Amino acid sequence: MGKLFEWSRFFENIPKILPYLTVTFSIVFYATFFGVLLAVFIVLIQIKKVRVLYQISKVYISFMRGTPMLVQLMLIYYGLPAIIDPLLGTSINRDWSAVVFAYVTFILNQGAFLSVIFYSAVTSIPYGQTEAGLSVGLTHYQTFIRIILPQMIRVALPPFGSDLVGLFQGSSLVFLIGVTDIMGRAKTIGSATKHVLEAYVFDVIIYIIISLAVRLLFWYLNKRLDYTNGRKTGGKEGIPWIST
Amino acid sequence: MDFNINNFLESFIYGMKYFPNTLRLVFIPLSVGLVLGTVAALIRVYKVPVLCKILAIVITVYQGVPIIVALMIYNLIFMMKYNDLAAFLHLKGTIADVDQIWIGIFALSLTAICSVSEAIRGALLSIDKGQDEAGYSVGLTKIQTIYRIVLPQMIPVAIPMLTNHVVGLIKASSVVMAIGIIEIVAGATIPSSRTYSFFEGYVAAALIYWIFTVMIEYLAKILRKHTGRFRRNLYD
Repeated sequence: MGKLFEWSRFFENIPKILPYLTVTFSIVFYATFFGVLLAVFIVLIQIKKVRVLYQISKVYISFMRGTPMLVQLMLIYYGLPAIIDPLLGTSINRDWSAVVFAYVTFILNQGAFLSVIFYSAVTSIPYGQTEAGLSVGLTHYQTFIRIILPQMIRVALPPFGSDLVGLFQGSSLVFLIGVTDIMGRAKTIGSATKHVLEAYVFDVIIYIIISLAVRLLFWYLNKRLDYTNGRKTGGKEGIPWIST
Repeated sequence: MDFNINNFLESFIYGMKYFPNTLRLVFIPLSVGLVLGTVAALIRVYKVPVLCKILAIVITVYQGVPIIVALMIYNLIFMMKYNDLAAFLHLKGTIADVDQIWIGIFALSLTAICSVSEAIRGALLSIDKGQDEAGYSVGLTKIQTIYRIVLPQMIPVAIPMLTNHVVGLIKASSVVMAIGIIEIVAGATIPSSRTYSFFEGYVAAALIYWIFTVMIEYLAKILRKHTGRFRRNLYD
């Protein structure tokens, strides 16, 4: 069997794994981009209290928050073909690559999680702000864009950052449905060479770097957007992202 | 679409049969996390020299590791090295005698320690410094102040965050099926491999998790009301 961990094998693995980082990033990109759109749609439903849709959105969010990512991934992977195939007469299990199912799952999941963040951010702005905007003659739309949105982004930013960290970590599950991301690649290296530990350790380092980078980015954004001049600070801890 | 209700029910029963495994995977790490996480949070808040810096770095870095990757690594190391360790400690038995669930519990415990300590640290920081000073001024020692004044006030503040972490832990416990431990998800899909009804199996698993987490959130709400009853203004 030889030694469990060898640096030469570790460095050999780096160029083999690194290209598959694009898969991880594409999942995160699609999930965030379409997730934000879905979340805005859900928040609109909740604020306008659209009948029926409002109740559906409640149940949907509760489901997405209450079940594991892994189960959601499997539900989409087995459920989407079971629902769509008989209707359209396709066989998407064979036609679509596995990563498409991962995209769909993460978009649906992020839509729910982001909608909660956005909803609490919108409702954290006092209604007096809207009234003030309307009283100086702005339209509803202008009030939202110029008064509410800038304040809302500031509130939503920290939870959005930790959600993004969680999303990167969650994307490591997709190898279970056969997507070759950096974890899936580590597994295939493992089955080809019988030495998988080095590949896993490299993956861990990648994930740690990503997580620290995202935290740092959001800490920086948070500081830049602090246009209240420190009058209104959330807590006295100051820097929650890199907490030393 | 064809949704076979009998297969679904069979999966549901199988999933419930392995529900105790999930309970072990959630509550043992949670207890470990509550104890060690609180200790870690106290060390960081009261700035114990050296230790607080080390803990800050370790916890921040470890939070960047996805649970499934950590699990794979622990599983691998355990598989390779257990027999040597057992020989070294003169333990009887080989790897086949050890329940693999302990690897899952170990990995989830480390995650729980990190997340719980962050939640408790946040809650501790929200308690005013004047409370400590008030404790010292009436002659309590540091330990007594923490135990009698700070911790009781910290608990209702920490509960919402802790609930999120418990729900996160419940959800995270599902990934241990990747190393072959049978819990709700793996259990619910045992009949599926015979009947090819994987969709029904996963729906059953999702339903069990959903009910479980909704129940935990409801219990947490009651607990928070109860522990915070001495506070003059509840936050909600």
